[in-house]
Amino acid sequence: MQQRKKVSVASVSKKIIFYLVFVGIWEMFFRLKLWPEYSFPAPLGVAENLVTGFSDSSYFIAVGISLKRILIGYLISLSLGFSLGLLIIRIRFLDETLSPLLLGLQTLPSICWLPLAILWFGIGEDSIIFVVAIGSIFSISMSVVSGVKNVPPIYLRAAKTMGAKGIKAYTTVVLPAALPAIVTGMKQGWSFAWRALMAGELLSPKDGLGYALTIGRDLADMNQVVGVMIMIVIIGLVIDKLIFGKLENAIRHRWGLTRA
Amino acid sequence: MLRVESVNKIFTSYARVTNTLQDINLTVNRGEFVSIVGPSGCGKSTLLNVIAGLEKSTGGRVVKDGQEIIDAGPDRVVMFQDSALFPWLKVIDNVEYGMKIAGITKPKRREIAIKYLKMVHLTQFASSYPHELSGGMRQRVALARALAMDSDILLMDEPFAALDGQTRNILHSELQHIWSETRKTIIFVTHNVEEAVLLADRVIVMTANPGTIKKEFIVEIPRPRKIESLELARVVNQIMSELREEVEKVAKSEFDSDWSPRSSKLLPTPV
Ligand SMILES: Nc1ncnc2c1ncn2[C@@H]1O[C@H](COP(=O)(O)OP(=O)(O)O)[C@@H](O)[C@H]1O
Ligand SMILES: [Mg+2]
Repeated sequence: MQQRKKVSVASVSKKIIFYLVFVGIWEMFFRLKLWPEYSFPAPLGVAENLVTGFSDSSYFIAVGISLKRILIGYLISLSLGFSLGLLIIRIRFLDETLSPLLLGLQTLPSICWLPLAILWFGIGEDSIIFVVAIGSIFSISMSVVSGVKNVPPIYLRAAKTMGAKGIKAYTTVVLPAALPAIVTGMKQGWSFAWRALMAGELLSPKDGLGYALTIGRDLADMNQVVGVMIMIVIIGLVIDKLIFGKLENAIRHRWGLTRA
Repeated sequence: MLRVESVNKIFTSYARVTNTLQDINLTVNRGEFVSIVGPSGCGKSTLLNVIAGLEKSTGGRVVKDGQEIIDAGPDRVVMFQDSALFPWLKVIDNVEYGMKIAGITKPKRREIAIKYLKMVHLTQFASSYPHELSGGMRQRVALARALAMDSDILLMDEPFAALDGQTRNILHSELQHIWSETRKTIIFVTHNVEEAVLLADRVIVMTANPGTIKKEFIVEIPRPRKIESLELARVVNQIMSELREEVEKVAKSEFDSDWSPRSSKLLPTPV
């Protein structure tokens, strides 16, 4: 225990030193004035921009709007993705016809749906949410399909001889057994959705983090551009690693899948 | 009472048609412990699965208490070689699973689960997850889970085959003890003749290709039995010599033609 703590303190301080040096070199390059200020920002300028943005609460609003959008889009894709996945599993015909199509659509960058979305919903909220949802729906439904298909048959046989059939066998055995695979798909879906949201907001004339990035460009304010990029990275990382990563690890551990 | 009546099972795949079970007739009485032995691949698991209702026969039928078996059900619980415990449930919840499906109330099923966990000496591990247990402990949990179902018949498919010798010995004596306490009707499939003789009232010997019942031995050794006892060794020898022929037959059909029983160390030799 003691040993482990020491090691982790060492590794944390290593990281801190690395980033201090990184910022130091960045500042040094800025001071050399190799490039004009509008194409190469200073760390201090970026920090200042972030502080102002948050103290006049405009960044809070931007973050809030973006999070609200992704939450709505992701919940829609979660429910549709699950239903679609379960439907494909139940109906063999759909599996044979639709699954290859879904796999293909998964390779399409979700922002490519934006023109279609704009024609359907017009420019605005609905088309952004559409793009977010469509970005993650395929990975979620594909993971439901493959997760359920790969449930070891012995679990179902055991459940059957203990009297579990139909819906009951599904909810008590099939879905729990498929959960680790499904959560992995949900995590992947989330990161697709986050990318789709940023792309959608970049092209939206209203609000949100992606829009703040556009404003930075329009004002030639490099500090704002980099500051917003940093926020996008941090939010993406926190949700990916702290929420989905933790959930995935906890489930894999409990299911006994992490043993070396 | 369970009756297997002229059951056939033919598997048809692209490559070949296999006569896995041919005209199997077998009666198992209430409270009886019956073992089925035979060379691997002779259709023991298939027969057990047909009785369990997990597999459909291609001919004949299985009748339990006057009712033809058409599907799997909690009156014929199966214990598999691989424990098949649900990894996402704690030990105690695994034991309770079947009772939960049956709609037994929480306090009642917890009480029953504890009783059977006690019987297999694992109450300390009630809130562990299956992956935290050794193979032997997992099989004990699986046994507790099967017993807790209070089924009419317990079907066991080589439940101890994957365990090391010492663990298996411990489980043998525990199962003997549990059986004398509960007097469950048990059909126990194994390729281990000693195990079969140690546990059963009756040992059924199966042949391979096609899978049929070759002979039946009644084991009249008083319980508790010891694996070292001379009486037991005598019965084991009788069954072994019956089986030896069978294993040779299977080996001849499966191995290349340069194989001979003389040169092989694979065959069981009389003790
Ligand atoms: N699902 C299946 N499809 C085709 N053949 C099968 C299937 N299950 C079993 N068999 C055949 O039946 C034979 C007996 O299998 P099994 O009952 O598992 O034997 P045992 O349990 O005695 O080792 C095997 O040799 C195999 O060829
Ligand atoms: Mg078998």
